[in-house]
Amino acid sequence: MKAFFGKIVGKIKGLIDKYKSLGYRAKKKIRFIIGRVFLYFVLIELAYLFILPFIYIFTTSMMSYQDYLDPTVKWIPTSIHWKNYSDAFKGLSYFGMFKGDSGDKVFMSSFLNTCITSFGSAIFQSISCAIIGYALGRFKFKGRNIVFLTVILALLIPPQTMIIATYGIWSKLGMINTFMPILLPTLFGLGIRGGLFALIYMYFFQRIPDAMDDAARIDGAGPFRVFLQIMLPLVRSAIAIVFIFSFVWHWNDNYEAPMYMYRDRMLTLQPKLQHIKQYFADLMGDTGSDSDPIRKAMSEPTLFAGCLLVLLPVLIVFIVGQKKLAAGIERIGVIE
Amino acid sequence: MAKKPVKYKKKLAHKATIKFGSFERRRGLEGWAFSLPWIVGFILLMILPLFLSIRTSFFETKLTDPFGFDGNSMFVGFDNYVEVVKDPAYGEVVFNSFLTSLYKVPVVVAFALFVAVLLKQNFPGRTIFRVIFFIPVILAGVIMSYLFSDSVGSISVFSTLTSSQTFGFVYKIFGNEIISQIGTIMWASSVEILIFLAALQSVPAILYEVVELDGATAWESFWHVTLPYVSPFVILNCIYALVDTFVDARNPVMNLLSTLNAAGNKYGVAAALSWMYMLATLLVILIFILLTKRWLR
Repeated sequence: MKAFFGKIVGKIKGLIDKYKSLGYRAKKKIRFIIGRVFLYFVLIELAYLFILPFIYIFTTSMMSYQDYLDPTVKWIPTSIHWKNYSDAFKGLSYFGMFKGDSGDKVFMSSFLNTCITSFGSAIFQSISCAIIGYALGRFKFKGRNIVFLTVILALLIPPQTMIIATYGIWSKLGMINTFMPILLPTLFGLGIRGGLFALIYMYFFQRIPDAMDDAARIDGAGPFRVFLQIMLPLVRSAIAIVFIFSFVWHWNDNYEAPMYMYRDRMLTLQPKLQHIKQYFADLMGDTGSDSDPIRKAMSEPTLFAGCLLVLLPVLIVFIVGQKKLAAGIERIGVIE
Repeated sequence: MAKKPVKYKKKLAHKATIKFGSFERRRGLEGWAFSLPWIVGFILLMILPLFLSIRTSFFETKLTDPFGFDGNSMFVGFDNYVEVVKDPAYGEVVFNSFLTSLYKVPVVVAFALFVAVLLKQNFPGRTIFRVIFFIPVILAGVIMSYLFSDSVGSISVFSTLTSSQTFGFVYKIFGNEIISQIGTIMWASSVEILIFLAALQSVPAILYEVVELDGATAWESFWHVTLPYVSPFVILNCIYALVDTFVDARNPVMNLLSTLNAAGNKYGVAAALSWMYMLATLLVILIFILLTKRWLR
């Protein structure tokens, strides 16, 4: 044993001596290679950790509950169980005619509801937050610091602090169970993390050299024309970032949307996910407790199938916008 | 003949000055014009509800009348606040949530900085990696809570995933508890990574060249060039991470607020609790900003 270790230590010593005797360029090259190996090793390890839950959801959603309970089946199901998806589709009332509150069949689509709230909010926020970001990023005016402070406050104050008050206001206006409580705030740049988007835009607008709008102004463009035709095209990557983040965050919103839109017809996908278990209980016609492990195991693969159905549109938007997003991330902060 | 155009020019300039004032003044007006929608929205959708919720916190309210405008509700002064302070259950939840935030924030920020430094490197395939680190943002919401909640056999899916397979050997050293925590904490760092990437890319490349010519190693150039340059962003990220953990939907205080609101007759208590919690968070952030002021340039 000792001899073995001695051999290894000797070899390492030899390698170090060899490295020391090398020239500057060779040394640099070796350091570079070691760095790269280390880099890829760490990144692949971390990326694996980030993708793993995704793969877990994917494989579990195809399992029958026997597979799910079987400890020998870890990743690959013995047979692909498509029924999970059709069950989840019905449980979510994704799109089509389903039993409503009153008992008869009505057209319900949690999918369309979610599309309206998240696409609408994303479009509105990427415009309205650009306006406030432009004001903060490119103008020096009296009271700018106060406006900046309000943006920070909007970021800091959680919606939970004032949810009752806002609910009261919306119900006074008769807008509960419409899309307005979600869409109207985004028109003003508020809404989910509006403050953060305003800051992102501000950061991007600050990077554009002053000569750009001076030139446009000398050519006779008014302030709104400068904003629309010169400035907005220059921050395309910021628009992509804000649009995608806003879309995803509104899609995944499980706090405000079910609070304002609680009727069965108006529910969005995320709160509907919790209904899948209820759907299962109705199917089996039992009143067993929720913590019953067999019941839980039976609904779990369907639940994950539902998760995938909920995720699918976001994934599509993400894959389509991925190039723009990546370009935005690449460009963010780069001094041109 | 030569006089006329001069006169004309003078007149025009004069008119423009009267209409818009000086250039700075005009720019200032434009700035206000562009911030007008935001200000209107902020007053209607933030200040008004905030005012109403302060009012609610001083009343004993009922489900039918959450703001106490009908005259049915009783003005109780600071009773709601006293109830929150006296009940040890509330205090415990708030204290615990502060404690967890305080140890989570440094880990999140350090991890985000580490990953951002790696991702900033110019290597083939970096775009794929940059996108992968945004997966938590997509998976957020209910799905996240399923992944983190108990599964069959009451083992969190996430802790089993992180512990036994990825970090097999580390797992044996530190035990399950810490590793599962690290997994969840790492998942909270996507936005921070983005902010750090932006910051790192704004460091002038010429500085690295200079220190390399002076014979600095990568390690030294990190401590003497990168870190001083991104220090304001470290602070920004700390604040963002603090806010993120404070208002996270999985936060016990937020759960408590939701249950209080759902109870229907405890709006006053919920409002009082949320105000005290919010002021406490603002205080923590303020203290943090004051402590770190000298690194902010």
